[in-house]
Amino acid sequence: MEAEGIDVLVVGREGNARYVSGAPRLWTAGSHPFGPGCVLVRSSGAVHLLSTWDEGVPDEIPHENLYGISFNRMTFLKVLQNIEGADSVRTVATDALSPSSALMLPKAFPSADLVDAEPMLRRVRRVKTPDEVEAIRGSVAVAEQSLAAALRALAPGVTERQLTGVFMEAMSTRGVTTPTGQDVASITSREHPWHRTSRDEPVRDGDLVAFEAGVVLGGYAGELGRTSIVGDRPVDPSLSKQWSELWDRLLSACQAGASCASLLEAYDTAGVPTPPMPVARGLGLGFDLPLVTHALPGLAAEQHLEAGMVLALTGYVWKEGVGALFGQEPILVTHSGPEALSTVPYRS
Amino acid sequence: MTPAGLMASVTPTRIPEVADARRMQQDRLTRIRGLMRAQGVDALVLLGNTNVVYATGAIWPLADSGRANFEQPVAVVLADDESPHLFSPVREDDRLRTELPLDHLHGPVYLDFDEGVEAFSTRLGGLVGSGAVIAMDEWTHALRREHSVLFVGGTPVDGGPMISRAKAVKTPDELALMRQGLRITERAISDVQAQLAPGVRQTDLTATFLRTIFESGADANILDPIWQVMPARIADGPWTTTGDLACPLSSTERQLVEGDVIWVDTGISFGGFHSDFGRTWVVGRDPDAAQRAQFERWRSIMDAVLDVTRAGATAADLTGAAIEAAGGVKPWMPHFYLGHGLGIDSAEMPYVGSDIGEAFDASLVLADGMVLVLEPIVWEDGAAGYRSEEVLLITEDGWEPMTDYPYDPF
Repeated sequence: MEAEGIDVLVVGREGNARYVSGAPRLWTAGSHPFGPGCVLVRSSGAVHLLSTWDEGVPDEIPHENLYGISFNRMTFLKVLQNIEGADSVRTVATDALSPSSALMLPKAFPSADLVDAEPMLRRVRRVKTPDEVEAIRGSVAVAEQSLAAALRALAPGVTERQLTGVFMEAMSTRGVTTPTGQDVASITSREHPWHRTSRDEPVRDGDLVAFEAGVVLGGYAGELGRTSIVGDRPVDPSLSKQWSELWDRLLSACQAGASCASLLEAYDTAGVPTPPMPVARGLGLGFDLPLVTHALPGLAAEQHLEAGMVLALTGYVWKEGVGALFGQEPILVTHSGPEALSTVPYRS
Repeated sequence: MTPAGLMASVTPTRIPEVADARRMQQDRLTRIRGLMRAQGVDALVLLGNTNVVYATGAIWPLADSGRANFEQPVAVVLADDESPHLFSPVREDDRLRTELPLDHLHGPVYLDFDEGVEAFSTRLGGLVGSGAVIAMDEWTHALRREHSVLFVGGTPVDGGPMISRAKAVKTPDELALMRQGLRITERAISDVQAQLAPGVRQTDLTATFLRTIFESGADANILDPIWQVMPARIADGPWTTTGDLACPLSSTERQLVEGDVIWVDTGISFGGFHSDFGRTWVVGRDPDAAQRAQFERWRSIMDAVLDVTRAGATAADLTGAAIEAAGGVKPWMPHFYLGHGLGIDSAEMPYVGSDIGEAFDASLVLADGMVLVLEPIVWEDGAAGYRSEEVLLITEDGWEPMTDYPYDPF
């Protein structure tokens, strides 16, 4: 904040609030409208947190810095106005904005310019500490064990939704009730590279079923993806071969110092179209860098992999009449190459 | 005898069994575009997940809120086009594209990055004329830096209230979907309640709940289910900013013991709608006389509120009835409300008895077709308390129940 000249940081996004406050919050699904979820004052280091109670709130945040749930914008305005130095700070950074907050923030901080906090937050969050890596490893372990239960339930007649239910039950039985995503199983289409159907169709013998397994534990997301064939039969050899070639190239591209564009190039050199989802995205408290997608080639070229980054690396190959092989591996970038954070890493 | 749910006394007649998705979406767009024209808005850009669901009818399983903002579908409603545009991560998903023409479906946009905003504004510029008046529900700083289409002459019009207004009154098709979502929730809760016993962990109850909702057709869970063990006294619970109860608290691997008083609060997503459910249970034994008396007081408060609930009543009529029946105190938690709307969001307008204040409650008039969740509580410090929720459709004559779950074990 000092380097950026930011006096007060106001964050609304869940990942940023988790990072700044260190407090686990009640899990809800979907995006929330921007509001002052957590406030950090640079001069004092004080954190003010939206929480009606102190359960789970770190000791460093005293009771007087907690403010409660409110449906009244004026209440939040008063909370912000009461923050030390509110009337004199010069630079206030937020991670997003809404029409009402765009009106409220200048009233709370009348002398301040309103600036973008995201570049700084992304920078501090993108490289993980060893403790954070262990937290992610713990989340991945629960996701992996819960995925194993869903894979055991994969048989002709079961639906995507039922497989999701099996995953959720297994996850909760392990004491974790918060998934990262809720679209766990999908029958890959034989007719179209990305088509999804109703989620109520039963899987058939020979279907390639893709699984996306992710849990949030202690605020940290751990995710992995696997594809399994229904029934006791081999996967189409040419698709398997294409998968291996792509996956080898992707793993080789995961080197500290490498340009993130090399992950997109891995698809090109393997002769595989890039998928609609990001080829790599950071794992952590929510939305973390790197983000590598064909939709943002400029961003891919700007970013470099750094030791300590944790990313979900995604491979996807498809063949007409067969279906798709999808794989996602949580990867820690190290100086000695990529390290898979799952117990049984995806084979190539 | 166990008192049955609300439908034992009132049979719903207004809620159809089947929804017509195409008609539902046409009705929504008619409302939204009417509000846009009234405010002179040419294009409405929506980022909030639930606003996008309302405007486009797109259904996807909502993700952890930590990552929701970068895999977010974006909707654009044009005043002169009856179909909205949807920018979404997975274009070829039958559930996403149900009612949208193919040329209104676009690939993902990443509005947190200038490069993503540039691609989006190029697309948007092709849809709207120069000088178009744009409304938005929220924005990123990258969007704020865009000055060719979006932030041309200052701040965009606030688009959130348009959706909030449009969605408050439900159409019959919407009610049919809501009823299905509430039924799925009740089915799962019934499985959970059968499992309730000393030694069971809170997370075991969640395991059963989550498995059953997905097996029964839910699109997503929307809230880490609450099975809160209530302390006998407020002072035995966590410190709060209000000095009142701390609720809802996240579930853990805590094992339930005989006699625990459990406050249940859950909700799921189905057909784009959120459900809500609340009950009080006692673990491993029948409620004692004091607990039954709390339940009877809760029933009398609920009955008093239901007596005045109808289209044309104000929120203040409902809070007044509740306070009178409770002997002069507000029978709800001060950080929440006596009641709230339910629909595309798990809590939406109308808010009844919130901290927006009494003047707001006096001005808020209930309308035919609104769906209201009433959640009064009875608290007896030293002996815990009772809380349940009922979901109602507001009608000209009064109300109809949307759920029929019994109050067992009370």
